[in-house]
Amino acid sequence: MEEWKPNAAAKPHKKRSWYLAWKYKLMNQRALRKLCQTGAVLFLLVTVIVNIKLILDTRRAAYEEEEESAQDYDDEMLNVEVHRHPVSNKKVLDVEVYSSRSKVYVAVDGTTVLEDEAREQGRGIHVIVLNQATGHVMAKRVFDTYSPHEDEAMVLFLNMVARGRILIFTIKDEGSFHLKDTAKNVLKSLGSQVAPFLSWRDMWTFVGKKGGEVYGEKHAKSPALSTWGDPVLLKTEVHLTSVEDAECHWPDTELNRRRKRFCSKVEGYGSVCSCKDPTPIEFNPDPLKDNKVFNVPVAVIAGNRPNYLYRMLRSLLSAQGVNPQMITVFIDGYYEEPMDVVELFGLSGIQHTPISIKNARVSQHYKASLTATFNLFPDAKFAVVLEEDLDISVDFFSFLSQSIHLLEEDESLYCISAWNDQGYEHTAEDPSLLYRVESMPGLGWVLRKSLYKDELEPKWPTPEKLWDWDMWMRMPEQRKGRECIIPDVSRSYHFGIVGLNMNGYFHEAYFKKHKFNTVPNVQLKNVESLRKDAYETEIHRLLGEAEVLDHSKNPCEDSFVPDTEGRVYVMFIRMEQEADFTTWTQLAKCLHIWDLDVRGNHKGLWRLFRKKNHFLVVGVPASPYSSKKPPSMTPIYMEPPAKEEGAVAVPAAAAAEQT
Amino acid sequence: NGAGFSKVRGSQSGQDSTRWHVVKKFLGLISSHNIPVFLIDPLILGLVDKDIEEIRSSPDGPSPECKYFCAPRDFTTFALLDKTWKHEVGLFRAAEKMGFQWLKIINKDPRLDGMDDLSGIEIPLHYIFKLASHAIHLVVFYERSGNYLWHGPLRLKQHMDRKFVPFRKLHFGRYPGAYEKPELLLVSVDDLKVQIPKNPSSFLEEMSQSRFLECRYREARAFFQLYPDDASLDGVEFRKKAKSLLHLAVLTLNNLGVKFWLSSGTCLGWYRQCNVIPYSKDVDLGVFIRDYKADIIPAFQKAGLPLKHKFGKVEDSLELSFQGDDVKLDIFFFYEEDDHIWNGGTQAKSGKKFKYLFPKFTLCWTEFVELKVHVPCETLQYVEANYGPDWKVPVKTWDWKSSPSNVQYNGIWPVEEWDDVIQIY
Repeated sequence: MEEWKPNAAAKPHKKRSWYLAWKYKLMNQRALRKLCQTGAVLFLLVTVIVNIKLILDTRRAAYEEEEESAQDYDDEMLNVEVHRHPVSNKKVLDVEVYSSRSKVYVAVDGTTVLEDEAREQGRGIHVIVLNQATGHVMAKRVFDTYSPHEDEAMVLFLNMVARGRILIFTIKDEGSFHLKDTAKNVLKSLGSQVAPFLSWRDMWTFVGKKGGEVYGEKHAKSPALSTWGDPVLLKTEVHLTSVEDAECHWPDTELNRRRKRFCSKVEGYGSVCSCKDPTPIEFNPDPLKDNKVFNVPVAVIAGNRPNYLYRMLRSLLSAQGVNPQMITVFIDGYYEEPMDVVELFGLSGIQHTPISIKNARVSQHYKASLTATFNLFPDAKFAVVLEEDLDISVDFFSFLSQSIHLLEEDESLYCISAWNDQGYEHTAEDPSLLYRVESMPGLGWVLRKSLYKDELEPKWPTPEKLWDWDMWMRMPEQRKGRECIIPDVSRSYHFGIVGLNMNGYFHEAYFKKHKFNTVPNVQLKNVESLRKDAYETEIHRLLGEAEVLDHSKNPCEDSFVPDTEGRVYVMFIRMEQEADFTTWTQLAKCLHIWDLDVRGNHKGLWRLFRKKNHFLVVGVPASPYSSKKPPSMTPIYMEPPAKEEGAVAVPAAAAAEQT
Repeated sequence: NGAGFSKVRGSQSGQDSTRWHVVKKFLGLISSHNIPVFLIDPLILGLVDKDIEEIRSSPDGPSPECKYFCAPRDFTTFALLDKTWKHEVGLFRAAEKMGFQWLKIINKDPRLDGMDDLSGIEIPLHYIFKLASHAIHLVVFYERSGNYLWHGPLRLKQHMDRKFVPFRKLHFGRYPGAYEKPELLLVSVDDLKVQIPKNPSSFLEEMSQSRFLECRYREARAFFQLYPDDASLDGVEFRKKAKSLLHLAVLTLNNLGVKFWLSSGTCLGWYRQCNVIPYSKDVDLGVFIRDYKADIIPAFQKAGLPLKHKFGKVEDSLELSFQGDDVKLDIFFFYEEDDHIWNGGTQAKSGKKFKYLFPKFTLCWTEFVELKVHVPCETLQYVEANYGPDWKVPVKTWDWKSSPSNVQYNGIWPVEEWDDVIQIY
């Protein structure tokens, strides 16, 4: 985050603004040709979606860029008013906000605090929060309100901002398409007169104080669907208040000193910074009796999503049996705000120089984090690996404490994971139940040091290989037939919507309805039966007791499973060989569970719950459990849909990875 | 009790009750913050060691006189295990209230130094608490990979007060040091309850040879820029085997109490690239002939490493080779002369002898593939003697009889001795 301090040596105000305005307009013109080309293509797509807007939008103003030559610029240079009052005793900030199709900027007293002219990113509403006493930038966000749900995130953020802060808004490219009424009303309540009427490709800037006055607003309507509103430049003045008025007066304790440092620097964290009854930053959850994971290091892998990290660390530090001294947060890049969050909670954080790009960057960050973890805790036999977009269940450590000895003793195990890929609200039921699965779910898991040091670290994909670390770990060369232990009801919850392989649609389809345990101190059932051989005995016992479902019915229908509770049912699907998941994938699809690749299987067997009954699916004849099928019964075969349909179901990029 | 005691002591000539008072205050401070420290002051431990039986047998007894903490000194040195305390600022506020001035010396965390892309996280290495004319030097020990404790060097930064205490007189901090994790004992000396190493004399012995060398991670990175690492499956596999062989060898030799160091290609690998050279085919260790023990061979055999060959004899040019899993372990024995050190080589088919000369060297600790091992402190001279000035350039074809720059022809074994000095299994 860029910081801004009142600075006597700041550049003269007018000179800066003329220069920027000129520069941006010139750039816009250059982009004009390109704009028209892509505009034509976009037009076709957009008409379908926004034809209603078309009816409303009747204006046809000509799109003409204001001409401004270099000569004009030079002349202006000579006429610039150089003299300014010294900033130090100044109680007024000059604020400039620029909104246009291809770039936005915000300058405070001549210092650029936001400048985004990158292509194909930064679309939507940019929001900047300034401290009303010092003028410091406390938060900088962009909400891509062209896309769904981003407006909800913006509302959430704006609600978190303390009263009295200065808010600056500007739109880049498009910010109205998914800006719903709730969000528009919030903007209206901040004093915006234009927000309720913002429409397709309008340009808009707004400066106001939360819960107070409006300092300025400018708007340019888009003349036509295929074009953007004219760039707008808002220049206004903001009156600063005294530092006393802008700070809270909490009792002077070590915790509050941390809080104060945090709250005077960043914004958007809500009640942690409220003057009256701020939310605690120390949690002191109950210790665990006989905690086997008290001395296991916890590595939190983070990027630049400080609000996510904040939520994640709150849940982690509230989990019973947590040992804050064993937690290290690894931040991928020199970002300040995630580090501020780490320090707020009194934890240790390490920043990591970004190497490589995209997936490979994540992969290298993982490697560095894991190596560092085992270096910092040389005694550790395991490490817990978490990500910044996970909620941690209250009994997360209790779950691990009860199961970690298996990972130590059973060499056929690859990991323990807190996440059940198939554990949705309608398919998971029993928080005391564990499974063995051939997939590696990630999302909160335990790694054995020997596995990392002896096998994974030496051949970890190098930066030039653009591989996902988790996909790589799932490859047979690495996994070598070993399995992971998972709970039926997940002990982590994946709340991240913004991420490398994430978007709102994908999250809603695959993660939102995931079941998450909220019961403390769950006593795990029959942990010893998770050992390699014991598990086979257990499966045979289960299959022996299971009632075979009526295979003449449609397995996608609810009526396929009788209206009972607590029973064990089995169905048989066709699975010609080990890698034949044709029917399983169709079944997973219609049951609305994870269907993007195969997860949660154990030797051709899947275990889940339907209507509170344990529901077993056996792939015949590939599974060794096929012998349980009554000889006369034909396994169910479900045909995959025609290719086109399948391709539309899920965005291809999103399907690439789960985490 | 303490106050009365010190009155008596304070009046005696040559005694200094200030020191005793400062130590008592300091111990009170740290115990009120639940910070476990232990005494590592070499002068006091030396005195304590003489009376150790007596001190052990009366853990609570009152002392008739102030024997240990009253000798007038500028410092008393304590150690702190980093992982046993949270870095609370409360400690320093409380110290200030008690009248202590304090100084914190921080520096890069060496545990993350080997990783090219983690920013230099700084950690506290030393604290100094000063009260009146006495100072407490608190050395922070960190656990590192290889199951040992490490403390950092004491280096003052630009803005620091160079006269805060007479830094040159400190017993710890001239070099970084490596130690085994000591067993501790709670004792009462001079009416002060303190933890001390259970065996003070072995701690003092360790201290005299504790100097630690960090691997040259920056240079290693530069090396891999020039010569990218071998990421092939064979390379990975060899490193894994070499590492496990080295782990086994270190365990075996440590159990025997035989001191050894990384030699030849293994030493070069550590010095040049902080790793095993993937095409080096064997693991090389050096041992001074005075440390030779006859049970080395049976101990390795017991560890599952059969003797492959034995060349030379204890009096001359001894070397042993053991067969690991695809990787050979060579142990060369070194003979000390007035102005140099050498080891020998033997060509089996011809009985020719060779001699490899090195300048004299001392031993330092380092960390290598998660092990605490010795290397020659004067590593550069050692490596240059062996590999010449171009040691930085990887060479894949190596003839041990002609390639080394320090090889000398050393005659031929008499034929009648061959059965003894050339044993191949």
